[in-house]
Amino acid sequence: MIRSNAEELLRSNIGRFVDSELIPKAQEIDARGEFPMEMFKKIGDMGVFGIRYPKNKGGSGGNTTLFCIICEEIARGLMSMGAITAMQCLMGTNFLFHYGTDEMRERYFLPAMKGEKVACFCLTEPEAGSDLGNVSTIARKTADGYVINGMKTWVTNGPVADFYTVLCQTDPEKKFRGLNFFFIPRQTPGVSVSKPFDLLGTRTTLISELAFSDVKIPHHHMLGAEGLGMDNLLSILSEIRTMTAALAVGLQRAALEDSIRYAHERAQFGKTIANYQLIQAKIANMAVNLEASRLMTYKAAKMIDNKIQCLKEASMAKYFATEGACKAGDEVTRIFGAYGYSMEYSAQRYYRDNRFLLYGGGTHEILQPNIAKWVGL
Amino acid sequence: MKQMQIIVLVKQVPDTTEVRLDPKTGNLIREGVKSIVNPDDRNAVEAAVSLKEKYGAKITVLSMGPPQAIDAVSEALGMGADKGILLSDRAFAGADTWATSGTLGKAIKKLGDFDLIIAGRQAIDGDTAQIGPQVAEYLDVTQATYVCGIDEVRPDAIVVKRRLEDGIERLELRLPALLTVVGELNRPRYPFVGRLLDACREKAPIEVWNAADLGFKTADVGLEGSLTHVVRTFSPKSKRQSEMLEGSARDAAASLIGKILNKKLLRETV
Repeated sequence: MIRSNAEELLRSNIGRFVDSELIPKAQEIDARGEFPMEMFKKIGDMGVFGIRYPKNKGGSGGNTTLFCIICEEIARGLMSMGAITAMQCLMGTNFLFHYGTDEMRERYFLPAMKGEKVACFCLTEPEAGSDLGNVSTIARKTADGYVINGMKTWVTNGPVADFYTVLCQTDPEKKFRGLNFFFIPRQTPGVSVSKPFDLLGTRTTLISELAFSDVKIPHHHMLGAEGLGMDNLLSILSEIRTMTAALAVGLQRAALEDSIRYAHERAQFGKTIANYQLIQAKIANMAVNLEASRLMTYKAAKMIDNKIQCLKEASMAKYFATEGACKAGDEVTRIFGAYGYSMEYSAQRYYRDNRFLLYGGGTHEILQPNIAKWVGL
Repeated sequence: MKQMQIIVLVKQVPDTTEVRLDPKTGNLIREGVKSIVNPDDRNAVEAAVSLKEKYGAKITVLSMGPPQAIDAVSEALGMGADKGILLSDRAFAGADTWATSGTLGKAIKKLGDFDLIIAGRQAIDGDTAQIGPQVAEYLDVTQATYVCGIDEVRPDAIVVKRRLEDGIERLELRLPALLTVVGELNRPRYPFVGRLLDACREKAPIEVWNAADLGFKTADVGLEGSLTHVVRTFSPKSKRQSEMLEGSARDAAASLIGKILNKKLLRETV
């Protein structure tokens, strides 16, 4: 039976969208520094946000590999749009989908799949980044529900989100076992949002602080069984890291493709710079890093799809692909020479945007010791 | 009103923005060149899906090509077509527009009743613009080419606008009819991801028909069934010749006018 290859067909169609709709506007969107609502809705119209969820429940019926293809392609066009897409597809909606009530799914999840509502995920606090055991946003249980007090920071989409999935501590004595996720709609009294942070890169991914002051929510807004918040987070950690690796692959591709194009155009001393071995060395290293990153990323994605534990592989992919993106962002600005220093070209954007990848899903200072431990140190 | 049956003709073509000619052989270099749905055909699918949304319709997308042309059919399903047929057989290879139109026409007859066939104006690889009109002739149905607007659909007729060189023509066509459409008709949507993935599944409503399924003998289709054969493909060589005109500006201008008239590029009038 002849059928199309879903991965290739999805890639070619998302790629066409990125080439035709996103890349021509990427510089303008980035310079504006506002949430790209128009592009967000276009992506929602295509059913992209539902890629991880089953079709009969409002999703598009894909899997992690297909999700990573989408992330890679969109990040190739504009990293911040890739980050926003990843948030909407995964962290921002995952727990609502799995543990929300039908009413919550109807009112928030389904519109989020269409790009009509923006989702976000609140984990980090001023004193709890990698050290989630130190989370101090408290959810106090009462007869009517929970009362939440505390502060979250580095909240991607915070300034524009319609609802939040928030990690809270319900019993500090229980440490990790006291951590639970809660669903909080933005309009809930007691929620306040700071101004967006002024960022080095991914300037349209709006990030802010959120403060919760006596925020009252009903019992059923706890997402998942009590005490299993950390387990539930770990259940998507491999996917978060693999997705981050896919974003990094996208940025590497953009940097490499621009470098090759420019090397063919730019002539010095009577020939294009593509003829110079030092430029060839840079391009070769970028290409090798890209190929290795791609293999590691999609190996981890396939393992997730096959329900094989792969936190080690996903962490390695995230670490390697992100470092590759940082190198590619550096090299593209060197190949472009002084033009890499100009805001007129995309090269500078790759240089700034790669930093975004270093923090989400685990810093490399956390990942490296873990990888060393997993390989037997 | 019974549900309208729409058939859309689509073709998978090499992305000609990436195609180069081998300077030695004159052949197209296809290695590494990706295949795409012919741009005008995307407009045809969009037109059909828009009509389906407005009036209700069942859309069957029909394509002829090698097995990988299944992607063009899948993409059309992703945009909103209901069913796909791919005509694929080694015997179909090398078909000219005559053989292609006959093959498509016979497949349409096999599909049964239809109200409307929509095709792109022309494919970017062959640029013939012949398939749509020839299929209409084969099926003996009304046709309108270069359609840039669809104003109204009634149970027995469709009102369209045609883009002409010097204006727009508004036509009412009796159904069933065939339209070939131009890019300005609409802005094709991107496929919906869920539908696109569904089109890749085994149970997708896509059938592949070969020559035998259509009751053809090998000699009727493909290269053997064609009236024209491509002998050679080449890029025309342009030889630029320059000639400097000496003398004053007035003398040079007079000389230039004379040369233009000699070559009959302008006609002298009294």
